[in-house]
Amino acid sequence: MPEDTALLNGRPASTTALEWRAPAAAALVAALIVWISPLVLGAFAANVLTRSMLYATLAVTVDLLWGFTGILTFGQAAFFGVGAYATAMTMTSLGSTPAWMAAALALAIVLPMVLGLVVGWLSFYHGSTPLYASVISLVFPIVVTQLVYSGGLLTGSSSGLVGYDTLPLDLEGFFRLSGLVMVAVTLAAWVFVRSDAGKLLVAVRDNDVRCAYLGVSPRRVQIMLTVALAGVAGVAGFLFAHASGVVAPENTGFLFGTQVVIWVALGGRGSLLGPVFATLAIDYLSASLSGDLPFLWQLVLGAAFVIIIIFLPDGVAGLARRASASIFRSSKQTRVPRIALAAPHSAVERSATLLKVSGLARSFGSLSVLENINLEIRPGELVSIVGPNGAGKTTLIRCLSDGSEPFKGVVEIGGKPMKGLTPDRVVALGVGRKFQVASIFESLTVAECLRLARTTSETPSGIGSAPRLSLPVASIEILRLTGLIDLIASPAGLLSHGMKQALELGMVLALEPRLILLDEPTAGLTKAERATIGTVLRHLTAEAGYAIILVEHDLDFVREISSRVVVLHQGRLVLDGAVDDVVNSETVRTIYSGGGHV
Amino acid sequence: MLLLLDILTTAAILFVVSVGLLAIFGVLKIINFAHGAWLTIGAYCAVVAVKLGLNPWAGLPIAFVAGALLGGVAELLIIRPLYRRPLDAILATWGLGIVIGQLIALAFGRDVQLIPNLMSGTVRVLSVDYSVYRLFMLFAALAIGVLFALTIEGTRLGLSARAVIMNETLARSLGIDTDRVRLATFMIGAGLAALAGVLLTPLTSVDPNMGVAWLIGAFMLVMVADTSYLALAAACLVFGGAQVLVSTFVSPVLGGISVAVLAALLLRINPRGFSRA
Amino acid sequence: MTPKLFAASTVSLLLATVAQAADSGSIVIGVPVGLSGANSVVAPSVVQEAQLAVDEINTAGGVLGRKLQLEVADDASGAAGAQKAFDSLIYQKKVDALISMETSAARNAGLPAVSKGRVPFIYTSFYEGHSCNKYLFVDAWVPEQQVPPIVDNFAKEKNAKTYFLIGSDYAFGRGMLGFTRSYIEKTGGKVVGEEYLPMDGADWTPILSKLKDAKPDAIITSTAGGAPNVTLTKQMRAAGINLHYANLAVDEGTAKSMGADATGIYLSASYVTGIDSPENKKFLDAANKKFGADLKTPNDLSVPEYEAVYLYKLAVEKAGSTDPAKVIEAMPTVSFTGPRGAIVMDKQHHAPLTMYLGQVQSDGTVKVAATFKDVDPGEQCPNLK
Repeated sequence: MPEDTALLNGRPASTTALEWRAPAAAALVAALIVWISPLVLGAFAANVLTRSMLYATLAVTVDLLWGFTGILTFGQAAFFGVGAYATAMTMTSLGSTPAWMAAALALAIVLPMVLGLVVGWLSFYHGSTPLYASVISLVFPIVVTQLVYSGGLLTGSSSGLVGYDTLPLDLEGFFRLSGLVMVAVTLAAWVFVRSDAGKLLVAVRDNDVRCAYLGVSPRRVQIMLTVALAGVAGVAGFLFAHASGVVAPENTGFLFGTQVVIWVALGGRGSLLGPVFATLAIDYLSASLSGDLPFLWQLVLGAAFVIIIIFLPDGVAGLARRASASIFRSSKQTRVPRIALAAPHSAVERSATLLKVSGLARSFGSLSVLENINLEIRPGELVSIVGPNGAGKTTLIRCLSDGSEPFKGVVEIGGKPMKGLTPDRVVALGVGRKFQVASIFESLTVAECLRLARTTSETPSGIGSAPRLSLPVASIEILRLTGLIDLIASPAGLLSHGMKQALELGMVLALEPRLILLDEPTAGLTKAERATIGTVLRHLTAEAGYAIILVEHDLDFVREISSRVVVLHQGRLVLDGAVDDVVNSETVRTIYSGGGHV
Repeated sequence: MLLLLDILTTAAILFVVSVGLLAIFGVLKIINFAHGAWLTIGAYCAVVAVKLGLNPWAGLPIAFVAGALLGGVAELLIIRPLYRRPLDAILATWGLGIVIGQLIALAFGRDVQLIPNLMSGTVRVLSVDYSVYRLFMLFAALAIGVLFALTIEGTRLGLSARAVIMNETLARSLGIDTDRVRLATFMIGAGLAALAGVLLTPLTSVDPNMGVAWLIGAFMLVMVADTSYLALAAACLVFGGAQVLVSTFVSPVLGGISVAVLAALLLRINPRGFSRA
Repeated sequence: MTPKLFAASTVSLLLATVAQAADSGSIVIGVPVGLSGANSVVAPSVVQEAQLAVDEINTAGGVLGRKLQLEVADDASGAAGAQKAFDSLIYQKKVDALISMETSAARNAGLPAVSKGRVPFIYTSFYEGHSCNKYLFVDAWVPEQQVPPIVDNFAKEKNAKTYFLIGSDYAFGRGMLGFTRSYIEKTGGKVVGEEYLPMDGADWTPILSKLKDAKPDAIITSTAGGAPNVTLTKQMRAAGINLHYANLAVDEGTAKSMGADATGIYLSASYVTGIDSPENKKFLDAANKKFGADLKTPNDLSVPEYEAVYLYKLAVEKAGSTDPAKVIEAMPTVSFTGPRGAIVMDKQHHAPLTMYLGQVQSDGTVKVAATFKDVDPGEQCPNLK
């Protein structure tokens, strides 16, 4: 029943058509409002709102970066400014024929994107932290501003650029153009974040490590997003240069960048519409009050910002959402895909060595954690690694899955050395890793988590949500046996501990990895849950031909399912053999009872 | 010779401005984006001292006390609730900076304030006439650095602070009142920032937004230095020197950003000290 | 800002918000000025002069029977702020004219709005010249009027042959020093250094070190009015530089607030408080009476504002209405005799002015060394009728 249809409150699983209808209608209404407005607004309001709508477009890009992907950026202003200056400088120095205008538009898109690439490379690398990315996003607008100041007559320096020819539109024309661009960008963003590919953003924010171990490089997602949104900001800058007729260094600076962040925070990060309305409202009010109550207005804004950050991190949109949820009691329209069976990957050769470890050693300074590990694993083997705490088990798993670990020795997967490869590239070699503490995406639903796990086999759609989710038989087994199949619409963060472990296992299995690394998969599970997992694991190795490496403390579990046991003690491999030999050996007993220390 | 003195005194000024931020970054693990506002508060304390008819030097103790008290209030009301959300704490301190700037503008007006110099004139140093005040800053930086070092290495608070810097959870489980350490550190850091603000007044104009220009340079230096004040001194020397050299031989505008750019590049190559955030 | 002033402005702000539209019938003059930023030191004086003129005119019956009303907006001394200020004044407050002193960055940024909104704009600040717009009129000096007296004095009286030029990096700084350089070279002198900092820059150290190395005979500076002047002079004196120093952009008010550091600075201005004329005496008496202890020293950046309001009044009366086309046609033909003498903006929208070369004394006042009557502004806008 569950895998054939997904019914929620009697409504059929929505198709892509339904997803398009509501936002497209809303966008159409917004476009109409934009079209009619100049006829009713005065010149002042129209002038101000033209600029506000361009700022709102910028705010959408910041929300995508910050609200959805977790990158706090003050730098979108710099891309906006580069676009504006590229335009103004072209118009001033090169000419304003339609050909030059087109060239200016191209420059306004390309230059920010190139800058975005540089900034992305600088900010996002394996091991970078969100704080560093934010710091870079603060520094490069300052650099851009100073470059503008040092540009002398070319950039106008402190005076800015004024008096260049602009697009032959009047006030109404610019208003409509800015408004339509804002509506278009917002609509595109809305559709994207609701699509399958859009969930990647949230995944990177929630758990970038898990992303990497699903074969998706979070750095690439972050850099691509930065570059794409830099281009969008550049377009907004191009329009700004034309609509306002003045381009000044303040348009590139970090003060402007922080203003956009404030608008997004007040509107509600992660809500798209919140930042748009907040930007329009606040910028318009600021312009109207600029003569009358300048100090008080800024003061109120600053105080509101601090209060919202502390008490209402979801901003006004969050407040509105909660209010409407309590008033309307609407059911969350969760689109739930149909689970289907995926065709399996090519069969695994039984004989070839899957994992070969030679002379692996890892030390932290003078402390040696792993010494001279030699291991060979073939398909169909279920190897358990046992040893007391501190023996180096998790370090070993890490060295096998993350090539950027500075270990000595050679680790080959399917004959290919994995040293130096980041986790996402190791996953591409056919490795799947399950962590000790369930590593999933708390903000996404079970179905969305599973679909993300399939990213490397099925590229997710950027404009909609596919109605069908294909999973390999092993994943479906896990879902069925644990009862997770009935909860696929539920947010992963609300699952019980055992269910989270099951979900993670399901996600790892969805990768169809030839080599699965499991770090204490039964920790905290009930006896029944343990038995279920054991069955699935045995089935995987015996029939599907996978190889599994298992780090475990539960010796009964080890005895039941393993084909081979490896004992680690103080960083050295002391025993490696058949289950019974090892489990009953004298050495193991000594080690576990605390003796045998060198 | 002139160049050497410029480099040393620039490094000294950068050190004085950044040391308060270092203390806060080390113990509380956040960047206090209101640091610029505290510099401004200090400068306006000097303005108030002059308006009250006091010796401009009286601004120093007034600023330290005022800065520390306001810092205590800020830590309790704003930083503490955001303990688990460091990026949000940074944003909140930025908002706080805006609020403080506007309050100062409301109280004193938006225009630039001019106050008599703490010290004027030049002195002959090895065949070159050099500004007395800039040389004084050299000594001020040394004095503050020594006091800071003595506090960190010699007092109980310093010991507790070092424990919190290294491992807060462990420190708490050993019975150290980490909340009090954080509060005390924030107050001292804020007080130092206000002090620096007073010391800046002969070098720059006093207006409600004067602190912002120093904020970026200061926190880039702090990020490079991580938690060590000796590393901060070294960073100030190296990057301050670069700033002077670029300003002199390339362009003053590009010199202004050399600290930030070089620090960012250095951190990209060697992110030591970033693993905590 | 004193508590009294704060309370007064809050009350008037509230009243203004309640009665948003101008009193029906009054003529609104917009004053976009640098209440914050580099010009904030001089802006209060500008606003005071405008207020003085408006009050005097209203007491005498107004213009064509209508009262004058002022609308002040902050342009933050820069381009971005000016755009907002001009937008607000032209489209929201719907002013009839703009009369103001601003940085060149602000003026340039506001001109497109002035053209689009068709608002007469009297620019009351000295500047680098050659800003041309059919709605723009200037009653303050340009380099052709101000620089030659200084360079001639240095060259002839002080035998200066080498000069070091320092300025703020924007239209005014570059324009002024560009003209200065060509005049110096034309008269046989040599420029050994020309350095700029952005308008908001406050650290002149590397430039001053370069200056020391270059060992010039004289220094000529042209920074933005207000803060940059102060920081540069402060740091120059702190570095022990006491060469012949002419400041092309300082006014008496700023010089006074610089205190002892300003002593010895040469300036060339169209107004100094020491001008011995009945109009200036009357003007200073009225200013002292109106503002008392709060009076900001009237200076070369603010007195033109006073005279400009009167010039606008005369133009409107001659044109018979506030219609922009009629007003700009009448503007070059009217003459007002104020503290600076007779002002007529008939030379391509600019005005011939009497210039005073002076040196700042230890008490902050300016001692006039030489006077040059009715100096012509030269060909500023040959393409304007």
